[in-house]
Amino acid sequence: MIAVLGYAAILVALAGSLTLIFTGVTASRSEAKDPRSVRAPVLMLFGGGIAAFILLEIAILTHDFSIAYVAQNSALATPVVFLVASGWAALEGSVVLWGLLLSVFTLLVWRRVWRGDGLGLGALAVMGAVSVFWFGLMATAANPFALCTEVANGFCSASSWLPVGDAVVPPDGIGPNPLLANHLLMAVHPPLLYVGYVGFTVPFAFAISALARSEPGKVWLDRTHRWSVIAWVFLTAGILLGGWWSYEVLGWGGYWAWDPVENAALLPFLAATAFIHSAIVQQRRSMLQAWNFVLVIVTFALTIFGTFVTRSGVIASVHAFSQSAVGPALLVLLGVVVFGSLALFAVRADTVASVPRLDSLSSREGFLLLNNLLMTLFAFTVLFGTTFPLIIEAFTGREVSVGQPFFDRVAIPFGLILLLAIGFGSVAPWRVASPRIVWERSRFGINVGLAAAAASVILGVRSVLVVLVIGLAGFVIGSITHFLIHQSQRAHIGGKTWPQAVGATVGNDLGFWGGQLAHIGVALVAVAIATTSVLAVRSEVSLAQGESAVVDDYCIEYRDAFERTEPERLVQGFRVAILDRSCTNELAVLEPRLHEYPKFGQIIATPDVRVGSVEDVYVTIAGADGDAMRFSVLIFPLQWLLWFGGLTIVAGGLVALGRKVRAGRPESPAEETQSEAHV
Amino acid sequence: MSEQVRTLAWLVVPLIALVVIVVGLWPADTEREPEARAYALAASLKCPICAGESVAASQTDLAEDLRRLIATEIAAGSSDEEIRGMFVDSYGEQVLLDAPAGGLGVALWAVPVLLAVVGGFAIYGLRRKEPAATEQ
Repeated sequence: MIAVLGYAAILVALAGSLTLIFTGVTASRSEAKDPRSVRAPVLMLFGGGIAAFILLEIAILTHDFSIAYVAQNSALATPVVFLVASGWAALEGSVVLWGLLLSVFTLLVWRRVWRGDGLGLGALAVMGAVSVFWFGLMATAANPFALCTEVANGFCSASSWLPVGDAVVPPDGIGPNPLLANHLLMAVHPPLLYVGYVGFTVPFAFAISALARSEPGKVWLDRTHRWSVIAWVFLTAGILLGGWWSYEVLGWGGYWAWDPVENAALLPFLAATAFIHSAIVQQRRSMLQAWNFVLVIVTFALTIFGTFVTRSGVIASVHAFSQSAVGPALLVLLGVVVFGSLALFAVRADTVASVPRLDSLSSREGFLLLNNLLMTLFAFTVLFGTTFPLIIEAFTGREVSVGQPFFDRVAIPFGLILLLAIGFGSVAPWRVASPRIVWERSRFGINVGLAAAAASVILGVRSVLVVLVIGLAGFVIGSITHFLIHQSQRAHIGGKTWPQAVGATVGNDLGFWGGQLAHIGVALVAVAIATTSVLAVRSEVSLAQGESAVVDDYCIEYRDAFERTEPERLVQGFRVAILDRSCTNELAVLEPRLHEYPKFGQIIATPDVRVGSVEDVYVTIAGADGDAMRFSVLIFPLQWLLWFGGLTIVAGGLVALGRKVRAGRPESPAEETQSEAHV
Repeated sequence: MSEQVRTLAWLVVPLIALVVIVVGLWPADTEREPEARAYALAASLKCPICAGESVAASQTDLAEDLRRLIATEIAAGSSDEEIRGMFVDSYGEQVLLDAPAGGLGVALWAVPVLLAVVGGFAIYGLRRKEPAATEQ
């Protein structure tokens, strides 16, 4: 029953999105340009998207194992949190979540379209076209409501194409992939990334609409500014949580491995970062019109590419959780997006050329352009490196691999130049930044950077790279702080107290100061990346019960072992005490564990971490030597700074959302208040 | 604080900092610890049976054995190149996660560098040709 209803919901959404394409295009070209003419398809899309998602969740929560997806991705014993998360943990469910977000965003965009708004109606038509793809996928290759038709060994092993006919109901489901049901973070990380991915559909839709209607200019940028920043914030938070999950759960002692799927999430992030920066240049200085179209198209295409890499299995990756007919479909969509958009762009090339030019390379816009160069070049290099083995194999048949060592080496120069550019760019004025002004504004930051670098040397850091990064980060943070004080000085002299003056300065330009907060976050993250990779201590100790060994500044003592049975898994844990170097004062007792999932025949070593203000002590089980256990003991200096810096970037994005942008809505007394609220 | 003291501070602070940095880092980066070397090596080798994971990251038994092998070889005095060579002999060229040196591997570096140059020129070309206007 649920299966039929769910499939019907998908068809309703599909019909709605198909209709939306035609009504949207017609309405945007009509005289009246009445948003009410697309109301029915938008509501169909929205209702269908919501219903499909809710019905799938109900099916999972009520253990309706007649539905293959439910039988294959959840089980009676699965804890409720992971049951809910099963709704998007595997391929078909993730497509449902994608469709849900797309339909919600379409409704939100529709609510902000007014009478006579051809651009908005055109954008809705584009969103309809994108929705056709996703709901079409659900109706065909990735049907979440397919019925289970065959049971082998007690579990569902085959499914029907359509949700009609006789279903075989297995007694229990297989349960979620152990890696995904191991930590709460995995329930949160994918939806965050998805909001980011799907969010970029909105600026993309407005850009295509603007191009198709020969309406360049900055209206589409102003109207999608918030969408871009929100999507970017979610993408950032999603990537950050993914790294945190990797660190807390995977047990190899890292947060980033340059895995193809990690790269696939990084690519749209880099392109989107370039886009939000170059959008500012167009909004303030009317430059880069064509470039912004290119960037938003590239960002959207990279979100599709990311999904393709994750879901097609073309590039081997630990993250590529499933392989199916969805891969070719995504490749087709990617092709249509890239070639369709570029063709449209080529046809409209004459209307998008921008006239104003750079007054000087040394200026705010010059540094924003440098950001664009760095971001797009880095994105290209990561994309090139990720696909390089495929390209080489296709042309020469040689099998090669490109991984961490290459990407690490590329990331270092990019990171260093980026920090330098952020430091100068943050304080440089628009149009022309004379050497005198740049020197006056960055002198303080340079001193802070030198002092920070010297302090790190005094504290014992002997790596040139780490000292360099600390110096540059100090320069960035010092420059921004000094600039804030400098800008607040006038208000302070005018009679305000310092906090009031700073508050007023920030409040006057939330976009700029939100960006600066994010820049400070970037500097902190850079320091943490350098310290946790270069200064990490890695060691392995083999200990019998009651024995201890000294690692770096700590004494590691193996106390005892325990076992317990949890739903779906057996837990074998080991109590390991962390003491000071003299083995007298206990600092913490950690419990690294082995989680065994009998149904999957999989054992996952889960680490335990003592989080410290200076460094993390990370213990995971490496193996057994007869009666003794081998523990990997890893020490990561300033690991917390990575998470803190990442959160600072997210906070910066949230602050920047407060920026006021005129949306270009016609001013009529009745609509004015509404339009302000919606900008 | 008087003007002279300020000026002096502006000069002295960075100078002291520079001296500290240079002196502190002078004999920098001495021989690396064997564990650090072993990790770097393991991170640069692909786990032969895993999907896109390095020997350092994988939790499979094979990766575990290979990590021990690397540690044993380092203890026995083998150089990084010798150990990598051993892996290539056993598992073929694709075990190396680093960009292949020479031949096509050059493209991996050359193309981004070329694009950087082109991008740099593109930005340079955006400049206004006539003298700049007054500053803000």
